[in-house]
Amino acid sequence: MTEQAVSNDDRDASITDPILEVRNATVKFGMDRGESRVLDDVSIDIERNEILGVVGESGSGKSMFASAFLDAIVDPGTLSGEISYYPDSGGEVDVLGLTKSELNQFRWEEIAMVFQGAMSSFNPVRKINTHFVETLTAHGDTVSEGMERARTILSDLYMDPERVLRSYPHELSGGMKQRVLIALSLVLEPEVLVMDEPTAALDLLMQRSIISLIEDIKEKYDLTIVFITHDLPLVVDLADRIGVLYAFEFIEIGPANELLEEAAHPYTRALLKSTPNLTAPVDEMRPIEGSAPDPVNEISGCSYHSRCPMADQRCEVEDPGPYIVDTDHDVHCHYWEEASEAVPMPNDGSGTETGSPDSDQPISVQTPETRPRWAGENPVLSLDDVEVHFEATQDEGLLNLFTDPETVRAVDGISFDIYENDVVVLVGESGCGKTTLGKAAVGLERPTAGRVEYRGQDVWEAKETGGDIPFEDIRQSLQIVHQDPGNALNSYRKVFSSLEEPLVRWYDDLDGNDRRQRILSMLKHVGMSPPEDYIERYPHQLSGGEQQRVALIRAMLMNPDVILADEPVSALDVSLRVEMMDLMLELQDMFDTSYLFISHDLANARYITEKTDGLIGVVYLGKLVEIGTPERIINDPQHPYTRALCWATPELLTETDRTDDSPMRKIDIPDPTDPPSGCRYHTRCPEARDVCREVEPEMVDSGTDETHQRAACFRAQENHEYWTSESIVED
Amino acid sequence: MDWRVRRIGQALFTVWGVITISFLLVRLMPGNPMSAMIVELEEQGISPTQARYLVELRLNIDPEEPIPIAYVNYVGSMIQGDLGHSMYYDRPVVEVLATALPWTLFVLSWAAFISFFLGITLGALMAYWEGGRLDLGLTGYATVMGSVPFYVLAILLLVFLGYRYGIFPTGGRQPTGVEPGFNWTYIRGVIHHAALPVISMLVVSGAASLSMRGNSIRVLGEDYLRVARLRGLPDSTIAIQYVARNAILPMYTGLMISIGSMFGGSIILEEVFAYRGVGYYMMSAVNQRDYPLMLGAFTIITIAVVIALLIADLTYSKIDPRAGGGKSEGL
Amino acid sequence: MKDSRGPTDGDGQPKAADGDGQPKAADGGSVNSPFETISDIEETRRDRYRKRYENYVYAPFSIIWDDWRARIGLAIIALYVFVGTVGVFLVEPTTNLDGSAFIQPFETWEHPFGTDRMGRDLFADTIHSTRPILIMMASGGLFTVTVGTVFGTIAGYKGGITDTVLSSITDVFINIPGLPLVIVLAVMFEPRNPVLVGILLSIAAWAGLARAIRSQVLTMRRESFTEAARAMDVSTSRIIRKDILPRLMPYIVINMMNATRNIIFSAVGLYFLGVLPFEDQNWGITLYLAYDAGAHYRPGALHWLLIPMIAIIGISVGLILLGQSLDRVFNPRVRARHRNGEAEAEGSEDVEADNTGMMKQV
Repeated sequence: MTEQAVSNDDRDASITDPILEVRNATVKFGMDRGESRVLDDVSIDIERNEILGVVGESGSGKSMFASAFLDAIVDPGTLSGEISYYPDSGGEVDVLGLTKSELNQFRWEEIAMVFQGAMSSFNPVRKINTHFVETLTAHGDTVSEGMERARTILSDLYMDPERVLRSYPHELSGGMKQRVLIALSLVLEPEVLVMDEPTAALDLLMQRSIISLIEDIKEKYDLTIVFITHDLPLVVDLADRIGVLYAFEFIEIGPANELLEEAAHPYTRALLKSTPNLTAPVDEMRPIEGSAPDPVNEISGCSYHSRCPMADQRCEVEDPGPYIVDTDHDVHCHYWEEASEAVPMPNDGSGTETGSPDSDQPISVQTPETRPRWAGENPVLSLDDVEVHFEATQDEGLLNLFTDPETVRAVDGISFDIYENDVVVLVGESGCGKTTLGKAAVGLERPTAGRVEYRGQDVWEAKETGGDIPFEDIRQSLQIVHQDPGNALNSYRKVFSSLEEPLVRWYDDLDGNDRRQRILSMLKHVGMSPPEDYIERYPHQLSGGEQQRVALIRAMLMNPDVILADEPVSALDVSLRVEMMDLMLELQDMFDTSYLFISHDLANARYITEKTDGLIGVVYLGKLVEIGTPERIINDPQHPYTRALCWATPELLTETDRTDDSPMRKIDIPDPTDPPSGCRYHTRCPEARDVCREVEPEMVDSGTDETHQRAACFRAQENHEYWTSESIVED
Repeated sequence: MDWRVRRIGQALFTVWGVITISFLLVRLMPGNPMSAMIVELEEQGISPTQARYLVELRLNIDPEEPIPIAYVNYVGSMIQGDLGHSMYYDRPVVEVLATALPWTLFVLSWAAFISFFLGITLGALMAYWEGGRLDLGLTGYATVMGSVPFYVLAILLLVFLGYRYGIFPTGGRQPTGVEPGFNWTYIRGVIHHAALPVISMLVVSGAASLSMRGNSIRVLGEDYLRVARLRGLPDSTIAIQYVARNAILPMYTGLMISIGSMFGGSIILEEVFAYRGVGYYMMSAVNQRDYPLMLGAFTIITIAVVIALLIADLTYSKIDPRAGGGKSEGL
Repeated sequence: MKDSRGPTDGDGQPKAADGDGQPKAADGGSVNSPFETISDIEETRRDRYRKRYENYVYAPFSIIWDDWRARIGLAIIALYVFVGTVGVFLVEPTTNLDGSAFIQPFETWEHPFGTDRMGRDLFADTIHSTRPILIMMASGGLFTVTVGTVFGTIAGYKGGITDTVLSSITDVFINIPGLPLVIVLAVMFEPRNPVLVGILLSIAAWAGLARAIRSQVLTMRRESFTEAARAMDVSTSRIIRKDILPRLMPYIVINMMNATRNIIFSAVGLYFLGVLPFEDQNWGITLYLAYDAGAHYRPGALHWLLIPMIAIIGISVGLILLGQSLDRVFNPRVRARHRNGEAEAEGSEDVEADNTGMMKQV
């Protein structure tokens, strides 16, 4: 090795005008099993008016890093090190040396913060207006001027200021709350905005919209932004520089584009590869093996060595200091120069300039095979014009018999089929009815109209009057894996007890020892070793991925024909998603099942359908608006809503390759109790014309037979009156 | 339909239920008071017609009428505010209780106010110094308070503060020999007489302080509290508008329900302190087997509690914007 | 995660493995898929009993025993139960003129708690009072919990018209003040049997529990884990028994403790008022007699009042302590980490919250 480790002092040579300097920031927690370091000697400079993206998986210390800027580590954590702040007006502020009252002034006036829990960041009993007013008063600002500012910011964020200010927090949707929180953090005109996972709880569309807004806001209000997230693609096109946190320290920092194209640390490279997206070949996506180190154990040498393919003895002993890759690109890896060979990226083959594929010319998507199994075969599950309407009832009591209920048309006339060994993925925003549709498909939600047939037998008819196939068999054949694995397992039952349930119900001939033996071998099969230890655990003693595996095995134990997998990976860290999806596909092979997969994330949908030749269905406000193979849906979407979803999916593309203009006229989804007339998307559609307001478009074939592409949009029909209709888009 | 209307309907339903229970008890139980009364009157040599008249006057039930009609008439007279005629005091039940009710309400409202205030304050202090010596001490205090029946406290107070040291009067509700009216001597006397019953009820504060403690600790861990601190809000705003308000909300209904149980408890207390409130008359009715008065007092107490709970529910939606109105399950 | 595992796992696991009494080699050889594995050794009835013992007797008790409050609470309750069952055979019932009147407590060992105006031995009185009181507590507590749980669970799980009817009945009982109703009923029925007295005293007490349980069941019915159980075609009664009731247990136990405490309070209160008819001895009657004889102002008679009071307070302290700790016993999180010190556990939870924060997001 010829490189020399550079010392801390002259690193970040590229930073010319730092607004913040962090030196040796360390956060420690005293715990009964030893002291744990959840931020380990972190040093970084932040350039004035830049957007610094900080990427880390859960448990990497990224929230600690965020809190450190405001000296706001929660008890009993302690922060040491040095943080210097250089205001525009000149001078230097030693953040950790501020008194309590100075700190109170400093926070929010100089550095403000947007938390990840926007849903719970407001006092539930006070109006939004009060939150702004009390903040202004606490900092001695003129309220009337400040509120004027607040109104401007709120309308910059595409909200109606008067309505929002009058509301109570619970009256706003998640996306609105998140934007209000951003406005609240800007009301005192801070220099720096620290955002900790500001979009993690939101839909992709809302997430993408907020990202665009952040860019605008940053320009308008002259901000320096530290954007912290677990989602690398999300931040790639937003940030100027990206820092990657692993095991409580930065392992690589560099310009966003460079990090994307020439990541030097094996972890960064592995992370890039493990992230499902719309362009990279699915066969190249690989999970990262192993798990991150425990904060209590002092790690000697490189913190990544236990998972690194190129680790040797040196890595176990010697802490890799920063090596300079480029003037503004540092990496903490002894062998970074060999990383590109050890962890090859799909785009490494032909040099860096092809790192980003041309967006209108798909290079990676395989041509779909024709599906002989579909020809002449009967579907396992067939949905015909299914409707689920809910009555939003009020609470209990004798007298609610007279209540006038509001009807929510969660699912409003949807038809599709699922075949043997098939995969259908439903994508859409939250509240679009995709989960309800899924539950109706597996017989857990009774449709108010339409038919759900299992091998030709109406499911509800079988339940009520009996049919050719007994309901018991149907029930066994249709299973569910829930979105939140923590909730899908009863937290009061040990793993063994939860897994025993299907065996007790369906396999009378097994005694307790057989059940135990079978459960042990299954746990082992899905990589939960030692299984003897795992069966005695409660769900909260499992990680999210392990919980989801248990839920998955439980469904598989029923030997079902169709499994409804409701967002099975969205609760997991990005790097674990591919692994979980691969496991699901492996089990599909073993058990010959089909999946009805629900996702809000087109990248996951693409991954799973492309590996299985499945279909993607796009759901909007209770309607199926488009269905087709992933290749067609992603490369040639017919419905404008599908196009919006594609736009919203974070991409590992460099800035120049992205379109930033939102293909939607409105950010917020309409109220599902009162859906728009005609085409339900017409209120947000950039292509909407007069006829869309009145006539509801039918599903029409828009591709060839092999692609199964169908869309409910007039634009897919050549000679439709749409083309002569007046546009309703106002500018 | 508006949920408030439903809530009021529910309250009326309860009152109707109680009236019906009284009717069933008086008229239909084997060996019921009505038959007993007739037998007793006839034994005294009163003519059957006269006895029938007396029974109807006292209980609002004509023994000769078929049960459904008797029931309708009974409910009808109850609705008109006729609770029957007290045998022991030989006055309409309503009259007896009307003079007593204000005294009971007086004691109860003070007891409720002081014990809730005490409970909430102590609970907040415990939460603020969670794990400290004050917290430990007060938790112990609250546990002991929860283990002491209020009448035991009442007897002890009576023994020591009443009889032993003579600080407070041992019975009665107003000072003797003072002209009732708006004068200081009288008012002081009234407060003096009410003091021991009020103090006896303060055991309620024990449970209240423990739940306030738990709620406050929960609120202290909420995200919005952290954001409020970072926004630099003054400590007083955070303590009152953020912590206290959100901690009290879930207790609110519970506190109002405890008013119901305090009402029940007042029967025993008024007996111990010979404090002539509704409970005192109810006990004297029990001892004299004066059924009209007993059932009348029961009905009055029920209505008072139902009204208290109704007010609690209706006002709750005023202080918690999330409650009422659009409250729908699953959202 | 591993380190935060509780003692049940630590203690119970090797034992459970031992309980199967068999080698682990069963999953090899001829079986192709791990999903077809069966065990070579048949499960005997003894194995099953042993597992039940592990799950329902050994584990809970070993957890309870780790909490000091539970230990004190259990000890107090056990003392009362001992007195009520065995004690009554060891100590002769007292009669008038057993000793001279108003002997003070601890004055002579013949009458450790002293005597009353009639010379009755208060120690024997207290001992023999315990039994009827315990019977009232048990019957009333069981009644409250059974009716409350049944009403709440059925209303919550069944929904529809069943729910409407049950909830309306519950609402009426919630609104009716308990003690006045009990007084009226006591006057009408004059119950003498302690079991009946217990039930009568809790006639309105179950409603609060029923409402609370209903709303919890309503929430749980919509949770994923019950939906998964329904998808597996597990019967409703099994879902209620295996998935729902265990989660309600902390709640039920606390309510049972509160209900029994309230029963003692109101039973003693009503005997003290003279509302309930009496033949046997109990603490409330002792209070009544003492008060009636003016023990509250008569010098030298105070112990007559104090002794039943102390007996009441003692058992309710026991119930409160037991209730507070039982709540923790059922909580799997407490179960899993209760060996750790309290403060540390909180701290580690914060860090865990940071680590698992992502997973919780939807």
